[in-house]
Amino acid sequence: MKLIKFPPPILCLIPAITLIPVLGQIFSEIHVGGLEVLGEFFYAAVHPSFNPLVLQSSFQGLQVTVATALLSWSISISIGLFLGFISSSVFWKCFCAQEWQSTAIKNSLAIPRSIHELIWGLLLLQLFGTSPLVAIIAICIPYSCLVAKVIGNQLDSLDQKPLIALRQGGGGTFSSIITTLLPPLIPKIKSYGGYRLECALRGATLLGVFGMGGIGTEMQLTLQSLEFREMWTSIWMLGGVMLALETMLNYLRREQNTKKKIEKFTAQFIGILALSIGIALLWLQRIDINLFSGFSFHPIILPTFEELTNAIYELEWATLISQTILITVLASGIAIGVPVIGLMMFPSKTSVSLQRISWAFLRLIPPPLSLLLLLLCTNPSLSVAALTLGLHHLGVMGRLLKEGISDQINHNYLAIYSLGTGRRLAWLYGCLSPQSRSYLAYAAYRADVILRETVVVGIVGGVGLGWQLQESLSSYAWAEVALVTTAYTTVTLVGEYISDNGRKYWMSPQASKHSSQLI
Amino acid sequence: MINKISRRFFLSSLLLIPSLIIGTEVITSEDVLVIGAIPDQNPEHLNRLYKMLSNELEKSLNIRVKYLPVTSYPAAVSAFRTGNLDLVWFGGLTGVQARIQTPGSKVIAQRDIDIRFRSVFIANTKSKIPVLQNQNDLKKLKGKRFTFGSESSTSGRLMPQYFLQEAGIKTTDFKGARPGFSGSHDATIALVQSGSYEAGALNKQVWQSNIKRGRVNKIKVKVIWETPTYADYHWLAQGSLDQRFGSGFTKRLQETLLGMNQYSKNQKQILEMFGAKRFISANNNQYTNIERIGRQLGKIR
Repeated sequence: MKLIKFPPPILCLIPAITLIPVLGQIFSEIHVGGLEVLGEFFYAAVHPSFNPLVLQSSFQGLQVTVATALLSWSISISIGLFLGFISSSVFWKCFCAQEWQSTAIKNSLAIPRSIHELIWGLLLLQLFGTSPLVAIIAICIPYSCLVAKVIGNQLDSLDQKPLIALRQGGGGTFSSIITTLLPPLIPKIKSYGGYRLECALRGATLLGVFGMGGIGTEMQLTLQSLEFREMWTSIWMLGGVMLALETMLNYLRREQNTKKKIEKFTAQFIGILALSIGIALLWLQRIDINLFSGFSFHPIILPTFEELTNAIYELEWATLISQTILITVLASGIAIGVPVIGLMMFPSKTSVSLQRISWAFLRLIPPPLSLLLLLLCTNPSLSVAALTLGLHHLGVMGRLLKEGISDQINHNYLAIYSLGTGRRLAWLYGCLSPQSRSYLAYAAYRADVILRETVVVGIVGGVGLGWQLQESLSSYAWAEVALVTTAYTTVTLVGEYISDNGRKYWMSPQASKHSSQLI
Repeated sequence: MINKISRRFFLSSLLLIPSLIIGTEVITSEDVLVIGAIPDQNPEHLNRLYKMLSNELEKSLNIRVKYLPVTSYPAAVSAFRTGNLDLVWFGGLTGVQARIQTPGSKVIAQRDIDIRFRSVFIANTKSKIPVLQNQNDLKKLKGKRFTFGSESSTSGRLMPQYFLQEAGIKTTDFKGARPGFSGSHDATIALVQSGSYEAGALNKQVWQSNIKRGRVNKIKVKVIWETPTYADYHWLAQGSLDQRFGSGFTKRLQETLLGMNQYSKNQKQILEMFGAKRFISANNNQYTNIERIGRQLGKIR
């Protein structure tokens, strides 16, 4: 089958089409019944609770979250970098001229990655009890594998000509890899690594499962009881920390950008990781969280073959899987396409900073909360679930795109613009074009994350595999849990296969020649 | 310069790790009574309540008490099974799940209101769902957008689903062929009041307290049916407490809970926060019905 070959920058735009059916359905069912509650929510934003007890408990929660985020971040970055290197095909091609090992490692990493940290937490809790250590491990498993995938893909999408040249000239394997691949990878590690820390901060709702508290727990409990003023106390606190983090990371990125020597960067990088682990461990001890407390082994009875076969017939697999895929596709489309369109249509400085603020806000609001807010003014449907996830991850994609664009030298844009091309087209081919490959790579695994997160949007009429997983877990139906997680993994693997081949098809040298001809 | 500093950081941090491991005091679970609760209230409330309760138990039982705020229903059940929690305030269904998975554990107390607990079905006034005359009338909810609360909630899901089933309504009979799961009783009220869901079911106590606090717009949402009574929330204790804290400990623990009264200022406040006048004695047998229904609806395997 021959598909039309679009140039990569256009490929970044196309997914936004999914916004049309989603918004169409949502607007057709919009109503004003929830306005008063929505009003209370927004009123509470400017009147957060200053009750000393609330402040104290949110602040305690914030400390728990920041400390565990630092710890799990540094661990998952270290493991992820290592796994990323050994799962890239460049690495294996250099060492043994084969790349099947890379595929094997990549595919086996898809299993831990396809399961949400919350589910990992609940599963490991069954086996090892409510130890904080288990919580950290549960967070690190999918996070490390995600970092590994990103680093692996980025490595493989780098220009390999310098490496080939060095190898042909007789350069050593290891030194050639470091000399040619590490320097272009450094800005990506910086940008992505920093962003992962933010993810770790936001993603720590899992801690509540282990009775550790944390700011995510505060938000979850205030959401359950609709105590918006107390909720905003936590949201603003977390927002403050995220803002501080972003400012710090921006400063770090700008300082001596890319000119830094490799060894200096490496030393600094290892220093930062080790320091974070040290600080985190001391901090946890100070706030009275003992990593190893409560750790013990409790075997569970594994489901029998008969139970497994029964479960196969009991669940409506076709509906569950198709709903999950539909939500994922719609949400990914929104998350990938909308930031590109936004930046292209509104390139002025003010509107870009406005967009950045709204992205930060979308990232800050946890999906269950935005889902509830949306549901207050429209009827439940798959589209609401898709929009919720799409909006949250739009914030993430926007941030990654903007950082990528600000990190590159913009002479392409200036050249195209000064030739008299319109500002928007110049942006599309000058700014977006060089970024589009790595953006699409990020897009592919963002879809992965969205797939995992369908676990949290079951509220809408109990849809998809995510809801089924929660239902089976809360019924302690281990056979069903095993099958549903297998389904998740399968969908992830198939999605990966399609996106990898799609990338190969659309971004073969021919396509890139095509886009450079356009320039 | 940076190089040197980073190396120092690196080495010192490496040194930190083993010292932390050795340095951490090994707290045996034997000397602390760990209590927990199914989270269905706001954090400020929970923190205040369980701090006071812990103090009260420490005072009268002369032991150390710690509150572990586990925030999800399945996690609380599992933490009880793995022995990380000693005494838990469970809902009807979760208590039975935990007891089945934890041999020897027993129900020791419940609130005065839990012995005859009820759920209410509510509807948006625009939905044209009338006040139901009897259980059979639940049929009128066919084809409506309907939401439960949390999936493990006894009063927000299990019992309402059971009464619906008795009236001949399957969960696939609702609009979209599935009910929603709002996540909490308060969210159910907000979503039905907004009209996004035409009807829903929740804990009667939460409904009443929302009315008292003026959080319900009576023009938009009304009660259409009240369920028959059933036994709900209760205190569940591990069976091993007597071995760990001395013989007769479970009995003393139960007596402490049952002895809470309106005369002590602290105890009065605790009872108020639980929404009860007092705690009464309870036992495993009161929940056989919940267990049967749980098995029937697949929530207990």
